Amino acid sequence: MNSKIQRSLAVVSAAALVFGVAAATNAQAAVKTYTIAYQGPLSGGEASTGIDEQNAVKYAAKLFMKKNPNIKIKIVSVDDQGDPAVASTVAPGTGSNKSILGVVGPAYSGATIASLPYYKAGGLVMISPSATRVSLTDPASPDFGGPVFHRVVGKDDLQGPALAKYATTGVSSAKVFVFDDQSAYAVPLRGFVEAGLKKVAGATVVGGGDSVPNTTTDFAPTIAKIKTSGATVVIYTGYYSQAAIFIKQLRDSGSTAIFAGGDGVFNQEFPKLAGASAEGSRITGVGGLAGISPKLEADFKKQMGVSSGVYSVESYDAANILLEGIKAGNTTRAKMLKWVKAYKGKSVSGNTIKFDANGDISYGLFAGFTTKNGVLVNTGIIK
Amino acid sequence: MNLQVLESQFWSLCLQGVALGFIYVLISLGYTMVYGVLRLINFANSEVFMIGTFATVVAQVGILQNQTDSQSLHGFRLIYTLAFALVFSMVVCGILGILVELVAYRRLRALGAKPLGFLISAIATSIVLLETTRIVTFSRPQTSPRLLDKWSFGEVAGANFRIDTVMVIISGVIIFFVLDRFVTKTRLGKAIRAVSMSEENSKLMGINLNRVVSLTFFIGGLTTGAAAFFYTTVYETTQFNVGFNLGLAAFTTAVLGGIGNLRGAFYGGMFLGVLEQFASAILGSQWKSVTVFTVLVLVLLLKPNGIFGEAVQQTRT
Repeated sequence: MNSKIQRSLAVVSAAALVFGVAAATNAQAAVKTYTIAYQGPLSGGEASTGIDEQNAVKYAAKLFMKKNPNIKIKIVSVDDQGDPAVASTVAPGTGSNKSILGVVGPAYSGATIASLPYYKAGGLVMISPSATRVSLTDPASPDFGGPVFHRVVGKDDLQGPALAKYATTGVSSAKVFVFDDQSAYAVPLRGFVEAGLKKVAGATVVGGGDSVPNTTTDFAPTIAKIKTSGATVVIYTGYYSQAAIFIKQLRDSGSTAIFAGGDGVFNQEFPKLAGASAEGSRITGVGGLAGISPKLEADFKKQMGVSSGVYSVESYDAANILLEGIKAGNTTRAKMLKWVKAYKGKSVSGNTIKFDANGDISYGLFAGFTTKNGVLVNTGIIK
Repeated sequence: MNLQVLESQFWSLCLQGVALGFIYVLISLGYTMVYGVLRLINFANSEVFMIGTFATVVAQVGILQNQTDSQSLHGFRLIYTLAFALVFSMVVCGILGILVELVAYRRLRALGAKPLGFLISAIATSIVLLETTRIVTFSRPQTSPRLLDKWSFGEVAGANFRIDTVMVIISGVIIFFVLDRFVTKTRLGKAIRAVSMSEENSKLMGINLNRVVSLTFFIGGLTTGAAAFFYTTVYETTQFNVGFNLGLAAFTTAVLGGIGNLRGAFYGGMFLGVLEQFASAILGSQWKSVTVFTVLVLVLLLKPNGIFGEAVQQTRT
């Protein structure tokens, strides 16, 4: 081959290579990928809660990417099974993965406490949709999550009295038996419920209560105590999978006492697992998307293929705070933390989201739900 | 401390304790039979139980096509369904018992391994079973349908004789009696006892050692499978980690009664079941484990081989 032709061929191919690479780089520059994480129980007995929450986060990201085609959002799923022991094994990886700009979660308070040291060390901002333990935002407590921890849900010192009130509504001189599942979430909540009961006219706490390990399946001794105490209302602070086992045994024992539970029991799996025994149960929780915007709920179902579930409003709000932060150019952890701290915006529920110095929002409304024909039905905000 | 509960619920707690005790007894036979023959603890037995609970659900829902929210069954259909689920769970656990022995014990026995080797291989097998089930079931609790309507024969002194409670106790007694007769009266039972006394001498007598060991694991699996069926029928739920607590309680039962001793397991189970109920009711459920294990330590301090265990001198090292 002629050396001239050889040379020009080489020049042409080199030019093509350079141009090609440049073009590819330009195309990549157009779409940037940012990562956030969702942390909660995605497997295990509490998986239903985590899957519902993660769906809401994915939905928020989907809508965001549609509006902002040049930003791609990657969601890392961090499965802590709602268990502090599991959380402390998955949190170090999340904390040290610098591509993660913020976490929606953890879902549960115990798992939050176990994860906190790693996220504090990594300066990773967290916005929990459902961790309600009071001490998480109490600067005097060793569980204090500041500066990284925030939540868009009301605390247990609001929920406890609301649950006490809802459980005893319409029951004159209520005799209330309260028991917990020994978890980091349930024990303090039980305290706030008992404190709340003192303010309910005519209500008395009876039987001394109980504290049952969350692996228990035989509730006979607790039921013996409930029967001895003559309780007309039984309040359980714990989670839905256990509550379902308990309520069946309580009804089988012949007791007709009202059963009530906190937001740990608030899950549509509860009536499914417990069947007819769950009818009439009174559960405190937070209203879902469907109650706030039927239009948004319809779109959610269309996009995600399933209905929205528990804490969908909170998870959607939490994800949007991080997503707006990314849009505003806060693409380092430090900037994102600053963004969240200074954030002021609207929740899909219409409330104004603004965090106080300890990471709490100013509102927090709990709604009452009752089981009717195998489904938890919203009966309105507890006032 | 809640002593009031004793006044109105004493017999109720006793009855519930005995029913729970029978479930412990049936699982503990899986430990005690194997220990009697091999002087080794079968730590995989708790997971054999767990598999049995899932086998029960598979039999009821998967094979016999009863839906989770289906109505209770009656008459022949009920008896057939319960009997099928019981036999299915027992057979699955029996076969699993044999497999556990083949995988975790046989080769190590042939190589003359130290007890620690068996302990580790049994725990490893147990973890494999546990984690596999966790992955397959997505760690979610599985509800078993209420096929048996829980009607009551009536109350006596506050104790509610409900059909499931009565069924567990009567079946427990029958299974235990049959097993006891089998071990004491039949040729195979005698072979098991012979191996338990002396491996070497029983070999000289022409007993096929491997077959006896397999048989022992099979029988332990059968009783554990029966326990799994009763557990699932009474509590109507299971989960991948259900074996841990129940297995621990059954192991405690075996040790309390004197591991290796069938009748010891029986008394150990009754004692533990009732003790757990009273400790939880009087002191609070949070004190249950503290009470149970304090009593266990005290018993072992006084009788190192359990209440009905062999005297120390007779124990092989």
